[in-house]
Amino acid sequence: MAIHEKTLIDPDRLISSDTLVVDGVDVSGHWNTMILPRTLKEYDDGFETHIKQFAGAENVHRCWQCGSCTNSCTMYAQNTDFNPRYWIYLTRLGLKDEILKDKDIIWQCVSCNKCTNICPKDVRPEGVMKALAHWIEAEGYGEKSKSSIFDEEFARQCLERGRIEDSEVMTNFYKNTDQDIKEMALNGWLGIFVARMNKWTELRKGNVFKFLARTPIMHSLHMGWSMFFKPKTKSWGRTGEVLSQYVKEQKELAHG
Amino acid sequence: MSDTVLVVGAGPTGLSAAAGVASIGKKVILVEKEAVLGGAPILSGYAKLVPSGEWAKDAIGRMVKRVEDNANVTIYKSTKVLKVEGEAGNFTVTLSNGQSANVGSIILGTGFTHFDSINKPEWGFGTYEDVLTTTQMEQMVANGKIACPSNGRVPERVAILLCVGSRDRQIGREWCSKICCTVSTNLAMEIKEISPTTEVFIYYMDIRTFGLYEDKFYWKSQEEFKTKFVKARIAEVTKSVDGRLLVKGEDTLVKRPIVIPMDIVVHAIGMDPSEENPELSKIFGIGLEKHGFVDKGEHYTSTFSSTRRGIYVGGAALGPEDIDTSISHGLAMAMRAVGDMNALVQKAA
Repeated sequence: MAIHEKTLIDPDRLISSDTLVVDGVDVSGHWNTMILPRTLKEYDDGFETHIKQFAGAENVHRCWQCGSCTNSCTMYAQNTDFNPRYWIYLTRLGLKDEILKDKDIIWQCVSCNKCTNICPKDVRPEGVMKALAHWIEAEGYGEKSKSSIFDEEFARQCLERGRIEDSEVMTNFYKNTDQDIKEMALNGWLGIFVARMNKWTELRKGNVFKFLARTPIMHSLHMGWSMFFKPKTKSWGRTGEVLSQYVKEQKELAHG
Repeated sequence: MSDTVLVVGAGPTGLSAAAGVASIGKKVILVEKEAVLGGAPILSGYAKLVPSGEWAKDAIGRMVKRVEDNANVTIYKSTKVLKVEGEAGNFTVTLSNGQSANVGSIILGTGFTHFDSINKPEWGFGTYEDVLTTTQMEQMVANGKIACPSNGRVPERVAILLCVGSRDRQIGREWCSKICCTVSTNLAMEIKEISPTTEVFIYYMDIRTFGLYEDKFYWKSQEEFKTKFVKARIAEVTKSVDGRLLVKGEDTLVKRPIVIPMDIVVHAIGMDPSEENPELSKIFGIGLEKHGFVDKGEHYTSTFSSTRRGIYVGGAALGPEDIDTSISHGLAMAMRAVGDMNALVQKAA
């Protein structure tokens, strides 16, 4: 029989095959639709401890599921799928797959801290939301955010040379986020932005000084120069190397 | 050396202790700061007591009468202890009525203070007339009529919120007040008895009707009186345009927000340490434990001792306690007080 109330079932638990013949009978299409059992088979015992290593989740073990956090939650008022109490429960039992079903909304916590203010056990749910969002990103379950990609390029240059080159940060950021610089220059905001800097009209009017004063000549020269010459900060030496090693060690120490 | 016992506080604990000491044939001085005897059940006007189902004024009334009729007991009402000097077997106590006395041991039944719901403003007490505490609701039950204080209408729905002033780190109440769950399930039944058309909802984090209170109160309330139990801690109580109260929260089992109209909201208030404990601690030279209740001395062979020799403490002064247990504490302290005095007399001989 066809399944009518598919909306009540998680899509990933519905399986059907386009062509299937069983004992000579053609049961292709929805005739062979099956629902995978939804029984939970295992707890991830180390998960709670793992999440507690992310800043903010230190008190997650205190929760007794009263629901005060969800009650008071700003985001829950917008979207009832945003349920801190439920995620804390899943975290405590180590039901990782269930948490990951909500990986695209957990980061939406606005840190209003009403939950932290009302929690009778001082679980600090806002911190748990932050920790879960960081965990999702750190373990690569979520899409890397644009700001993280920017930070990575920024940090890379800092560590390498002790300083950044603006134009290099921006070009690499666009490259790493699949934004086409040429397209942006020809048809997008970058073209408009550059066109606004055009002060030829002043020159044509004979206002030489105004033209020179308002055109970022030195800046353009500097940008061009730094495409080829990338000096390091004075006495940078092994500083970047040592810093990278330290950051790596701290990360391992914190998250195992 | 004196073999008179001073009993401080004339609630269930103190009344029981005084009667106990007097029954062994020793003299008792019973000091009560209020003008009437009986303690919280009488002063706050409790309705029917858990678990006997007897009216508080009858049950506690008998305890008061037993002590008043006993020639061995001297009662001082509206009186406080001002000063305690000396040591076990030979204390000199100064009272606020100008008297002083020589006593061999001291029994403290100084009780507790009800949590003041004003400290949880989000739940509407003090803002809306129809938000009450369990003691106020008990008074309503004792008067035999269930009605909204705002306009006298019979409530269609009553919500009882558990753990108000208990089990809450935010306001420094890190204890379970032990008896509110049972009292609330009982109150739900009493409301139903008087007003059968009223539906009662209990909003809980856990239900802790310990021991034999499980079936006599929790199950009975649910099965016979159809009390509804909702697993939700309420975020706030507000008022709707039609004048009814709105309880807002998350029903954790349905995983959905609730905004439910109610006619009366009752706070199941917890038991705080007596507000006079800091003063009592100074006057009697006894320690308080970390929550502010009176601290115990050694538990196993010196039961009900305070941290000072010759001074015994029991009942809700030690922490949230029910009436039956407080009464047993009273009797046990009578035993300790007289027994220790006898030992001192034998040692001296």
